[in-house]
Amino acid sequence: MNVTTASVQFTGSAQSYLSPTGVEVAFILIGLVVLGSALLVVTVRNLVHAALWLVVCLGGIAGEYLLLGAELVAWVQILIYVGAIVVLLLFGLVLTRAPIGHTDELDVKHRAPAVVVAAGAAGVLVTVVVDAYRKVWLEPRAAVPLGTGAANGAALFKYWVLPFETLSVLLLAALVGAIVISRRGADGDSDEPESVGTD
Amino acid sequence: MASTAHWWLEVALRLVVILGFFLVVPLLVGQMEHKAMAHMQGRLGPMRAGGFHGWAQLIADGVKFAQKESVVPADADRLVFQLAPAVALLPYLVALVVVPIGPGTQVGVALDLGLFFVLAVMGVGVLGTLMGGWASANKYSLLGGIRTAAQLMAYELPMLLSAASVGMAAGTLSLGAIVDKWQWWWLPWQLIGAFVFFVSGLAELQRPPFDMPVADSEIIFGAYTEYTGLRFAFFLLAEYAGIVLLCLLTSVLFLGGWHGPFSAHLGWLWTVLKTLALAFVVIWLRVSYPRLREDQLQRFAWTALIPLALAQLAITGVVRVL
Amino acid sequence: MTTESEQQSEQQPQTGPASSDPQREPRASRDFPGMGLVKGLATTFKTMTKHAHTVQYPDQPPELPPRTRGVIALLEENCTVCMLCARECPDWCIYIDSHKETAPAPPGGGRERTRNVLDRFAIDFSLCMYCGICIEVCPFDALEWSPEFEYAEFDIKELLHEKDRLREWFWTVPAPVALDPGAPDPKEMAQAQKVADKRLTAQKAAEIVALADGGAAASGQPERSGPGRSGPAGGAEGDG
Repeated sequence: MNVTTASVQFTGSAQSYLSPTGVEVAFILIGLVVLGSALLVVTVRNLVHAALWLVVCLGGIAGEYLLLGAELVAWVQILIYVGAIVVLLLFGLVLTRAPIGHTDELDVKHRAPAVVVAAGAAGVLVTVVVDAYRKVWLEPRAAVPLGTGAANGAALFKYWVLPFETLSVLLLAALVGAIVISRRGADGDSDEPESVGTD
Repeated sequence: MASTAHWWLEVALRLVVILGFFLVVPLLVGQMEHKAMAHMQGRLGPMRAGGFHGWAQLIADGVKFAQKESVVPADADRLVFQLAPAVALLPYLVALVVVPIGPGTQVGVALDLGLFFVLAVMGVGVLGTLMGGWASANKYSLLGGIRTAAQLMAYELPMLLSAASVGMAAGTLSLGAIVDKWQWWWLPWQLIGAFVFFVSGLAELQRPPFDMPVADSEIIFGAYTEYTGLRFAFFLLAEYAGIVLLCLLTSVLFLGGWHGPFSAHLGWLWTVLKTLALAFVVIWLRVSYPRLREDQLQRFAWTALIPLALAQLAITGVVRVL
Repeated sequence: MTTESEQQSEQQPQTGPASSDPQREPRASRDFPGMGLVKGLATTFKTMTKHAHTVQYPDQPPELPPRTRGVIALLEENCTVCMLCARECPDWCIYIDSHKETAPAPPGGGRERTRNVLDRFAIDFSLCMYCGICIEVCPFDALEWSPEFEYAEFDIKELLHEKDRLREWFWTVPAPVALDPGAPDPKEMAQAQKVADKRLTAQKAAEIVALADGGAAASGQPERSGPGRSGPAGGAEGDG
C-alpha cells in the first residue's frame, strides 16, 4: 500500500511502472476483497470474527481511497475506523459476550427483509453515484494533489465551513444526549435498581 | 527502464535499512533495560552471555524462544490466536517507514501526511493484543485484552491532540517538514504537549507505570499469558519496537529530531541519540514508579491529560496567531 | 493581669512558628506537587551510579563470615559412639555403626576394659536441615561446623558423606575464638596442665636421681603426650 502511494507521488508526471489500467485492476481487486469481507461480516457465525472481518473491509476501503489519491481520507479511515471504532466494537463484544465458536443467536429470523433493505440501499446509492459522476473522469495521479492535508484543509475550512460546523453541533448534541442518558440511568439506579439491571 | 530499476533498488535498500533498524534498535533498548534496571536496583544484570557484560543476552533469549514449543491452547480460536502476534508487530514496522531520522532524504518514504499515518498505524497494533486476549480462551487473557482496549481508548485522544498541536505549530503534517521548521523555543512552547504525548504513548504501549493490562501479579501476563515460543517473542519485540517508535516520534516531533551541532552530516546520529535518551527515560520510569490502578489510569487520562492537551492546543493556537 | 496575658499572647506566636518551623519545612517541600515523583526518580538514578551489590559468585568467592555454617565436620578421634547426635537429629540423617573392643587388663592390676570403636559415621546432607543440634549436643566436640559449602552433587546419593569425607571437612574448621585475656583456663586445659606439671616434677626428680647416678637422661617423650590430650581445639590448631 505504501509503495503504491509512493509511486503515485513519485511518478507524478513521468512514466509510471503501473499503467493506469494497473491502478484500475488493483482497485477492482481490492474492491472484491472489500465486498467479500463485508459479506463475511454479516454471514460469519462468530461475533469476534465478524468484527475482525470488518477490519479487513474497512482497511480495504482505506486502500481504495489511497488508490483514488485521497491520502488524508485513507489515513483517517484507518485511524478512526480500524484503530478506534473496531477496537471499541471489540471492547464491547469482549466485555459482554463473545464466546469462542459459533453463536447461534446470530441467526435472525428477518433475514429476507434485511437482504431486501440492504440490496435496495445499495442499488439506490450505486444508481445515484453512477448517475452523478457519469461524465467525470478522475485521473488517479492527477487527483493526488487534491487528497493532501493542505488541499483538504483548504476545502474544508474555505468552502465547506458551514456543513463542517453544523456537523460539529450535531456531534455535540449527540455527546450531550449520551451524558443525559447515562445520568438518567444513574438516577434511576437509586430508585429502581431492578429495572436498570434488566435494561 | 533503467530509472525504474534504479528506483526499485533504492526502495529495496531503504526497506532493508529500515528492517535492520527495526530488528536491532529494539534489542538495543531491551539490553539497555536489562542493564539500567539492574543497576538501578543495585544489581549487575546479565553478565555471562557473549562474554563482555552479557551483551548477547537478548540474542540468547531469541535462540531460546525459537527452540521452544509453540503451544496453542485446545479451546483457543486457532487462526486468530496465531495471527495476533503479527498484527501486533507489523504496524510498528510499517510506521517506522515514514519517520525521518535525518535531513533531506534520510527517510523511508516521505509522506505528506506522515504524522497522521504514524498515529493511525500505531493504533492498529493494539488490535493484535485484543485479538490475542480474546482468542486465548483464558480469563486472564480476556481481562488483559479488555484493559488494553480501555486504555487505548482513553489515551488515544490526548496523544492525537498533542500531536495535532505540533502539526498546528509547524503548519504541516509531514514529519520531515515539522522537524525542518523546528526552532529551539518550540521546546518550552510545546512542553505540555511533549509531556502529554510521551505519557499517553507509554500508556498505549502498556509500559509501567501504565502496565495494568499485563499486571503480572493479578492477571499473569494479560493477553500474552497463553503465548509461548516465537509468538511470545514477537509480542515482546512489538513492545520494544513500540518503545523505539514512541521515542523516535517524540524526539522528531518535540525535541527537534536531527537538530544539533553538525546536523548537516550527523543529523541521524542526533535523532538516534535523542531516541535512546528517551528510551532510557522509559526504563527509568518503569523502575521508579509503582503500577497505577485501573481507575487511576482512566481518571489520569480523562481529567489530567486531555485538559492538558487541550490547553496545549490553545497555547499553540494563540502563539501561532500572534 | 492584662499585661501578662498580652505577654503570653505575644510569646505564643513567637514560640509557635519557631517550634513548628523545622517540622513544617520538609512537609512543605514534600507537599510541592510532583516532589515525590522527582524523589523516586532521584533514588533510582543515585542507585544506578553506585556500585552494584551483586557478587559474581563462581568467578569471585563470596565473603562469608568465618563461622558460616556450611557443612558438618567430624573429628573421628574424639567420637566415643555415645549416639547422642544420632538420637537428637530431627531428620535421622546420622548413621553410626560401631563395635566393642576389649582392652586387656593393665599389668598393674584391675579389670579389663571395653571401649567403643567407630566403624561407620555418615551424615546424609540430602536430609540434613543444618539445625546444628548434633554439634550442640556432642559432649566431646567431635562435630563442628565448617564454612565450606561447595559440595553440590549431580547424584543425590553422593550427598551421603562417610566418615573419611567428614574427617576431611575437619581440616577446614576454623580455630576456636581465643579466650578473653586473663580468663581462667578451660577445665581440661587446667587438668592437662596439672598432669604435665606432675610429670615434669617427676621427671626432674628422676633427672636429679639420674644425675646423681651419672646415667644418661631420657627426655621429651612423656611430656609431649600431655598437651596432645587437651581437646579437639588443640588438635585442630595443630593441624591447621
